[in-house]
Amino acid sequence: MLKSNHSREFIKEERIGYLFIFPALIFMLAFVGYPIIYNFILSFRDVNVTTFSNPIKPFVGLKNYIEVFKDPTMGISIWNTLVFTIGSIAIQFVIGLGLALLFNLKFKLSEPIRGLMVVSYLIPMTVTALLFKFMYSTSGGIINELLMKFNLISQPIGWIIDSKYSMLSVILTNSWVGIPFNMLLLTTGLSNISPTLYEAAKVDGANVFHRFFKITLPCLRPAILSVLVLGFIYTFKVFDLVFVMTNGGPVNTTELMSTFAYKLSFTQFSFSKGAAVANVLFAILFVVSLGYLGLIKEDEVMD
Amino acid sequence: MKKIKVLLSCLTVVVMTTSIFIGCGSSTSTSASKAKADSGGKTTVTVWHYFDGQQQQKAMENLADKFNKSQDKIEVQVDFVPRAELTKQFTIGLVADKLPDLGLVDNPDMASFAAMGLFADITDKMNSYEGKDQFYPGPISSCKLDGKYYGIPLGSNDLALYYNKDMLSAAGVEPPTTFDELKTVAKKVTKGDTYGLAISAPKNEEGTFQYLPWLLSTGAKFNEVGSSAGVSSLQYLTDLIKDGSMSKEVINWTQNDLEKQFVTNKAAMITDGPWIIDTVKKDAPNLNWGVVKIPKDKVFASDLGGENWGIIKGHHETEAWEFIKFTQQKDIMNQYCADFGYIPSRKDIAESNEKITKDPIMSVFLDELQFAMPRGPHAKWPEISDAMSTALQESFTNAKTPEQAAKDAQVKIDAVLK
Repeated sequence: MLKSNHSREFIKEERIGYLFIFPALIFMLAFVGYPIIYNFILSFRDVNVTTFSNPIKPFVGLKNYIEVFKDPTMGISIWNTLVFTIGSIAIQFVIGLGLALLFNLKFKLSEPIRGLMVVSYLIPMTVTALLFKFMYSTSGGIINELLMKFNLISQPIGWIIDSKYSMLSVILTNSWVGIPFNMLLLTTGLSNISPTLYEAAKVDGANVFHRFFKITLPCLRPAILSVLVLGFIYTFKVFDLVFVMTNGGPVNTTELMSTFAYKLSFTQFSFSKGAAVANVLFAILFVVSLGYLGLIKEDEVMD
Repeated sequence: MKKIKVLLSCLTVVVMTTSIFIGCGSSTSTSASKAKADSGGKTTVTVWHYFDGQQQQKAMENLADKFNKSQDKIEVQVDFVPRAELTKQFTIGLVADKLPDLGLVDNPDMASFAAMGLFADITDKMNSYEGKDQFYPGPISSCKLDGKYYGIPLGSNDLALYYNKDMLSAAGVEPPTTFDELKTVAKKVTKGDTYGLAISAPKNEEGTFQYLPWLLSTGAKFNEVGSSAGVSSLQYLTDLIKDGSMSKEVINWTQNDLEKQFVTNKAAMITDGPWIIDTVKKDAPNLNWGVVKIPKDKVFASDLGGENWGIIKGHHETEAWEFIKFTQQKDIMNQYCADFGYIPSRKDIAESNEKITKDPIMSVFLDELQFAMPRGPHAKWPEISDAMSTALQESFTNAKTPEQAAKDAQVKIDAVLK
């Protein structure tokens, strides 16, 4: 609407607007832009133990990227990151939506219980990781002890030390952290749906399923979209949880792109290769974000 | 159009201002840290170490205290930095210049940091130092890169085989001395929830450290994992797991976990270093145990552990060297090495210390020291090490056959060494 308004007044106001975002812009450029650019340049140079102290670091073009992609661990880590992200989001979203719907019923104590649910989101990641590491332990870990008490298993399962279960275990842990986040955003979405819609549907004789699929889900679409995309971005770059719980092991079964990049940079001192992996991760997230912006625009046009 | 122009000019301004900020940030912080270091007439020498054991931390503090009381020009201050953080800080510090004056690093990391330019070249200081020829060849070679000295050993350790005397005699066997004997003994003492042998094989430097004795014992060198001898070492250890004599959980155990397995009778034999002796005595005062050299295939082998002092280039180099020389005195070195559970890296000191030569346990570690190989030294050791510990895990978890895992590791190692 305002686009057509090109009066002097407006331009003046717009300039003042720029002035206001100026400090934020400086902040963004210094703390977000600079590292990204630095990392980008680093990935095209050859910086490792032997060249680190040289004053001039040669540009090597795409060599780091080619070498990184030749390393089988790279393919494994991309695949693992995708499995980890999609697995976590699926679990988080389904349970988060279920809980949001449950607490939306506004029964007695629903408010305090919902508040308590958020606790897992508030605990620092490293603490969560350590807690679950103890809980998954084969000697005295509560999960194995309980399962054995109920005779569901006869031998303790090596949740995070057995390559068959390690990925599942970190996904479950990450989901536990992410559920409240999903629940909160979806609850907000739910509270925006006008109750009159449901009343009208009831009068027209629509049952619970009709109301859920025809009213709740379509009206929640924007909220669902943000939850999924934000969840994707958030989960795709998870580092601390996996680093503490399994450090990418056993073998490479839980190696994510983030832990792989860290390992290349800080245990093998191949800084350029580490930067290259980080940039691939960045590129993937960038594309996802662009897609999200596109979808939002589409939604706004529809509105 | 106008909008874009405004935006562009804004951006230019922003970029210019931020570059100024960045410039200011680093220069002010360095001058501040230097000013602080020189206050009070005394020169402060900051030392970073990663020892998280209480006893070791106390030993470090004592060492600094003794030095500070011995003279009035230099004040040594000891700071603990967790190991992963220390490695990161050293590399980041190189760019941001927020470094201590003296650092302690694990000996296989020395070459990498020296190559990156972290440590000062102390060749001249070493050449005029009378104690220079007293070091054991292993420890001192880990301080060298391309013929130059970048550090000096703090103390050394190596791996040997701890065994539970009661369990072995109950099974009617002697402590093993060869690979074959170990295999039989391990099988015989495996009972209930007790495994015959436990080693530590996580996918990091610790795993490589524990694997090397087995590899070197077959006659293979550290860069010959894929040779038939190298493959046989991996096959041997994997077979121990297949036999049921070793738990497959070893891939997740640290060397401290081994100690716990040993004192709770869950492992009859473990390969571990002298630093756990005190803990074993404290955890299980009634346990009847002994130590022998790691059984051999073709030759006895162990590998060298321990840390090196490294003086940070461009910081208080002279003062830090004074402190290092202070630690090299006989009584002082014997004291802190005893606290650490280490062996002095100097022949003259270790071999005149009766607490080591006459002690039934420590003398084994001292004896083993002559077979202890330094890891590398190579600037890209971390990459070589990663290839080895990966092979170990792949083989132990049946992800690959020992042969395939060893061959794949060889390809990676060759790529690093080419």
